[in-house]
Amino acid sequence: MRGLRSIASRLTLWSLLGSALVITATGLLLLGHLRQTWLRSAHREGGTLAFAAAHGIEAHLARAAEATRLLARLARTRSDLTEQLAFDTLRANTDIAGVLFAWTPDDPTHPPIAPFVDRQRNGSLTRRDLGRDDSRYWEQPWFLTGLSCPDGCWQRPFFSQSRQQRLINYSVAIRSAGRSIGIVNADVTLAWLQSVLGSLKRPDGAVMFVVDGNGHFLAHDGTDRLGVAAPPQLLQALATAGDTPGELQAGIDTSVTGRAWLYRAPVAGTGWTLGLLVPQSLLESSLRRLFLRELALGLLAMLGIALITLIVTRRTLAPLATLTDRAEHVARGELDFTLPRARRHDEIGRLTHAFDRMRRQLARHLEQLTRATREQERLRSELEIAHQIQVALLPSEHYLDARCAMLELHATLRPARAVGGDLYSYFMLDQQHFCLMVGDVSDKGIPAALFMARAITLAKALAPRARQPAQLLHQLNRELCQGNDSCMFITLLCGVLDTSDGRLVLASAGHEPPVLYRNGQAELFQVDTGPAIGLDEEATYVEQELRLCAADTLLMYTDGVTEASAVDGSMFGIERTLASLERAPPLSRSGEFTSRLMADVDAFAADCDQADDITILALSWHHRPQGESGMLDLTIESTVEGVFAALERCESALEEAGVAAGTREDVRLVLEELMVNMVQHGHRGSADGAIRLRVRTADGAVLAELHDDGAPFDPLQAAAPTLSGDIADPEEVGGLGIHLVRAMASELAYHHDRDGNHLQLRFITTDLTEPPT
Amino acid sequence: MTLELRPERSSPSRLVLHLQGRLDANTYLEFDGTAQPLLADLPRGATVVLDLSGLDYISSAGLRSVARVRKATRALGGHTLLLDPQPQVRKVFDIVKAVPVSEVFTGTAELDAYLDRIQRQVADAAGEDE
Repeated sequence: MRGLRSIASRLTLWSLLGSALVITATGLLLLGHLRQTWLRSAHREGGTLAFAAAHGIEAHLARAAEATRLLARLARTRSDLTEQLAFDTLRANTDIAGVLFAWTPDDPTHPPIAPFVDRQRNGSLTRRDLGRDDSRYWEQPWFLTGLSCPDGCWQRPFFSQSRQQRLINYSVAIRSAGRSIGIVNADVTLAWLQSVLGSLKRPDGAVMFVVDGNGHFLAHDGTDRLGVAAPPQLLQALATAGDTPGELQAGIDTSVTGRAWLYRAPVAGTGWTLGLLVPQSLLESSLRRLFLRELALGLLAMLGIALITLIVTRRTLAPLATLTDRAEHVARGELDFTLPRARRHDEIGRLTHAFDRMRRQLARHLEQLTRATREQERLRSELEIAHQIQVALLPSEHYLDARCAMLELHATLRPARAVGGDLYSYFMLDQQHFCLMVGDVSDKGIPAALFMARAITLAKALAPRARQPAQLLHQLNRELCQGNDSCMFITLLCGVLDTSDGRLVLASAGHEPPVLYRNGQAELFQVDTGPAIGLDEEATYVEQELRLCAADTLLMYTDGVTEASAVDGSMFGIERTLASLERAPPLSRSGEFTSRLMADVDAFAADCDQADDITILALSWHHRPQGESGMLDLTIESTVEGVFAALERCESALEEAGVAAGTREDVRLVLEELMVNMVQHGHRGSADGAIRLRVRTADGAVLAELHDDGAPFDPLQAAAPTLSGDIADPEEVGGLGIHLVRAMASELAYHHDRDGNHLQLRFITTDLTEPPT
Repeated sequence: MTLELRPERSSPSRLVLHLQGRLDANTYLEFDGTAQPLLADLPRGATVVLDLSGLDYISSAGLRSVARVRKATRALGGHTLLLDPQPQVRKVFDIVKAVPVSEVFTGTAELDAYLDRIQRQVADAAGEDE
């Protein structure tokens, strides 16, 4: 039981309250109605009772009256037997207390015998002649009244001194020859009337009484009022009551307490009225009893209804409680539970079915969701790996030419999605030529990323063979056109920089022109462009040369920069790009250009998603002017004399530059070995060859370059000599010079091209001279 | 600076060649031209001492000249000894492992002691032969 929180309890409580309200209202209504009905029926009963009582009195009086009228008829003819008649009548009729025969005297001085027989208290009968009394009865009003009653009438009550009790006469005139000659009087005592009244049926607590025509009580349940005049209000009520019962205020009749109802009935033949007083409280007490009994029954019924409602509701709603409990399970994510069996196809049954369906659907959805999430997670992690792989395809974002510090490069690539189609790449083609490119694959996302990977790998593989940017674009285009059914293409700007003199050869395949920043001015460097790569297999590309000066910066970018959109749809554009670069302070490093431009683009498109991949590459050229740091640049004939002259100049140049003697001699030895080798083997003693020697110092190192147009010879590939520990051992000593070169140069690089052999050497200078052993 | 070569015959079986300057591709012919006739005159078992204290520089061409001297003395059953090479030259010799370490001497006293010892060995060997 969950107290008032349970619907069953609430339903029961409310239905209980509701039915209590209804029952109370109907009860009150019923009470009012019942009271009326009850009163009406009580009144009817009262009236009936009163009539019945009146009839009872009439019946008793009628016997006395009948006997008296009989005596009057007998007396008409048998006046001599009157006394005997009186005795007989009294003996036969115990209701009658006395009988008198009185005659109108013909001679008042000699009145005839007027026999009067009455019953004593002990029951014996006595006889007396009223004519002998001095009262002169024929002059008495009762006699005169009696004479006028041929059919009999009841006289007024009176108090008999002789018998010491209240009596009432019934007089009948004795008629003879059409006139009244005397009367017969029959006495009845009021005590008798009282006893008649007492024998009549009435409700407990009700009071019955009889008043005569003059308003005196002839009988009353309270005997002390006999003969007393009734209160005028009572008389008035009796007179006005009619058929309806009269309502009597409290205190009028002291024998009843409180208000009372008065019922009356005339006693026929007498002019008397019988009254029945029923106190209001008597009526209401029975009504109250009835009402209380009904109320108790109603309450009992209500309790029964409440109990049944409670049981039925609880039984009906029991599956609902289980469902509620299961719903809490669902909320916790537990879907594996049993549901109550739906017995009927009512609302609860349907709810249970729907719940079961919902649970199963939910479980299926959850499973699908989990699967989808796992799938998504897998895709995400694959994309993450793809991103890492793509980043790994790109060279480092910063490149500083470590050997000669002549160029510095910063690049940044930010894909719009996890992977993108932009690319940049750079690498040394050989010791002298630096290749760089920026490209943009059509489309974005994974297809573009795959195409980009193909392009960047191919470009790097083809570049050493192609050597020239136009050639590289041409070869790359041919390769990428093959099997390119999806018609993807890539715009590419490719350049090859000669690090010896800052000559940059550019070729473009439909790519944005680069921006040249020179002396605080940024302007587009227009490159004649061929078609984008991947579309036309026969496409050709042209080259353009740009000679970089010291402190120049060349900026290559993709359309992600110029087409970055702001909220209002406007694009960043080339004007803003140029302006962003021109705000750079003089002598900025290449990294400052890329980060500044990227920041400007971000600020411009602050509230928009990045729509396209963004790539920025800045190349700064720091070529130092000639003569600096003991720079030496000589071109000599291919003769030993020339070699030694060059060696002398080199020696003195290095000495001037403050290079330590030990390093100087290392440099000299290496250069001598290499150059003598070129003269003797590369040119086979011919003097028409040319050898170019460039030497300079930089950052604790001596850098030397040798360019020679003789036969190709890579000192790095020469076989090492067999060193037995004694140079006199082998028949012919060879390879010693190259061995010395390799041992003494800190770094040695060789490449050969159509111009001949190119050697780059680096010696780390040290001021330490080895102590003599 | 070029090469100066000053031969010294302290005894019939010993030739001392004092080298000064550079022995490289430019000067090795000069060295060879001076040294070869002297070597040809040496008796069997003679010792050649190359005094390198004044040699500033040697290249592979110079090394080959030294190799030729060593071959010639070896053919005579003699020795070629190196005296007091400068660090730069010593470094070159070390790189190519040109001569056994036992045949490089840092001072004349050390050299003389070695030569005396050789002399005695030769004398003892001759005595035994007799």
